[in-house]
Amino acid sequence: MDVIHAYLNLVPVTLSQSLIYSFLVLGIMIPFRLLSFPDLTSEGAFPLGGCVCATLLLAGYPPLFATVVAMLAGVGAGAATALVHLRFRINSLLAGILVFTALYSVNMRVLGRSNIALFNTDNIFMQINPAILTDVRLQVATFAVLIVVALVALRWYLATQAGAALRVIGINPELAPSLGISIWTYTIVGLGVASGLTALGGALIVQLQGYADVGMGTGILINGLASLVIGETITGRQTVTRQLLAPVVGAVVYYQLVSLALSLGLQPSDLKVVTAGFVLVTLGLPMLRGRSTMRETMRA
Amino acid sequence: MAAQVTALGMPLLVCADLRKTFNAGLAGARPALNGVDLALNRGDFVVIIGSNGAGKSTLLNTIAGAIEPDGGSISLDGQDITRLAAHRRAGMISRVFQDPMIGTAAAMTIEENLALAEQRGQRRGFARHLDGAKRDRYRALLAGLALGMEDRLSTPVAQLSGGQRQALSLIMASLSRPSLLLLDEHTAALDPRTADLIMATTLRIVAEQSLTTLMVTHNMRQAIETGNRLVMMDAGRIRDDIGGTEKARLTPADLVEKFRIENDRMLLGT
Repeated sequence: MDVIHAYLNLVPVTLSQSLIYSFLVLGIMIPFRLLSFPDLTSEGAFPLGGCVCATLLLAGYPPLFATVVAMLAGVGAGAATALVHLRFRINSLLAGILVFTALYSVNMRVLGRSNIALFNTDNIFMQINPAILTDVRLQVATFAVLIVVALVALRWYLATQAGAALRVIGINPELAPSLGISIWTYTIVGLGVASGLTALGGALIVQLQGYADVGMGTGILINGLASLVIGETITGRQTVTRQLLAPVVGAVVYYQLVSLALSLGLQPSDLKVVTAGFVLVTLGLPMLRGRSTMRETMRA
Repeated sequence: MAAQVTALGMPLLVCADLRKTFNAGLAGARPALNGVDLALNRGDFVVIIGSNGAGKSTLLNTIAGAIEPDGGSISLDGQDITRLAAHRRAGMISRVFQDPMIGTAAAMTIEENLALAEQRGQRRGFARHLDGAKRDRYRALLAGLALGMEDRLSTPVAQLSGGQRQALSLIMASLSRPSLLLLDEHTAALDPRTADLIMATTLRIVAEQSLTTLMVTHNMRQAIETGNRLVMMDAGRIRDDIGGTEKARLTPADLVEKFRIENDRMLLGT
């Protein structure tokens, strides 16, 4: 009974955090699903957003400015991965590894040390309403509004001429040039927006938790993929709207499952192997059943 | 005014001494294009035949910009496009691929595919991709094909048959009124009845829009019945260019005879 009680107490806090992680999962979904580009940049872009934001806040810059700059840094990281892949024809996975490895050093330089606490610094939530930091229900409402705004903007973009062109890159890259669609332009835009959202997630989580750590990205990609897979199982992928909802639904459910597992006594350090195993099973199961066409982009 | 007159008098497409060798430097590498000179006048419908490896598809891909030539030049409408990226030529040149899977975006709907094709060569901005006026136009366009696609505008293309997909990519290729239409064995992957239907539709669209067309085929009957010029390729070169009355009088027997004279390998290839 104690276990259940401990878990239930954590539900609101976990919900609030998972809504912020939704930005990260959205940032993972866009390259994987819309561009068919398995992009690993998030492993570096997430802490990049956090470190840039923390450093700017400590230097006394306004929180909104710090958050926007953190997001733009993420856009740069995503664009870098795209350029490494396009210009040097380096495999997309390797391009992501190159960029997030380099970003580790960058994040270390930006932050100045491996972690930092943000005492007595202003942050974006205090500016919106100081009660957000203490009232979990207000937190959930605020983050829900933020993520809905992001989803509406993405849904709008994907229904424009440019958004449709971006989707073609992922669906049929051979066709795209013959329709006058530049693979370069839309790969850079897509990965840039994706890593921008991931970095925004990093910046928000740092401001919510009050500390930044260069190691905050480790394993984040697998958490994100696990969330995405869960979300897609629930929402499906038949329409653009469902595909956009999957990261949010998935993040909410995944972090509740994690919280439950921890309440049941799972060691936090064992969590990564459990998550990796889970992703392996969900991606591998269709293969074992012979339905090898599913999730081809993740396996390739 | 004078400049316009000259432009109209010039050939639309000029390929001069095009050369391409894949895997150059490796043992056994032989040129896919070994000095191709070809000029198309406005309104020409040129059919290219030749054995496997003759360089037909390489020539088409080079004109479309999918392959960059090692040497030579391509000009379209008086403009040198030799080094122009494929997506920048797409406003002037459109193509139908052999594989119906390549010519359409499977996960998108029929109307989305058409809207994408209509934007070929234009700036893609933040205007809505689809609207009611477009849908009405597409419905009318597809009704002309009589393949039942006009009632399925919001169906994903993945659910269509190969023939329907190829008909759709043909409509897509002609929607933006290109200067040059490239057809790369676009009926080869279809059953004979569907192939005939697609060919008939091709001829109708080409005639309606007076499109300048370059078609690669392996089908002897198509080569004889279609177009005003027949170009025969072998080993990366143009061996024969038959036009005018000679083309009109050409019989299958003549073609077989010519093939035998030109090259034994051609027969084996077809």
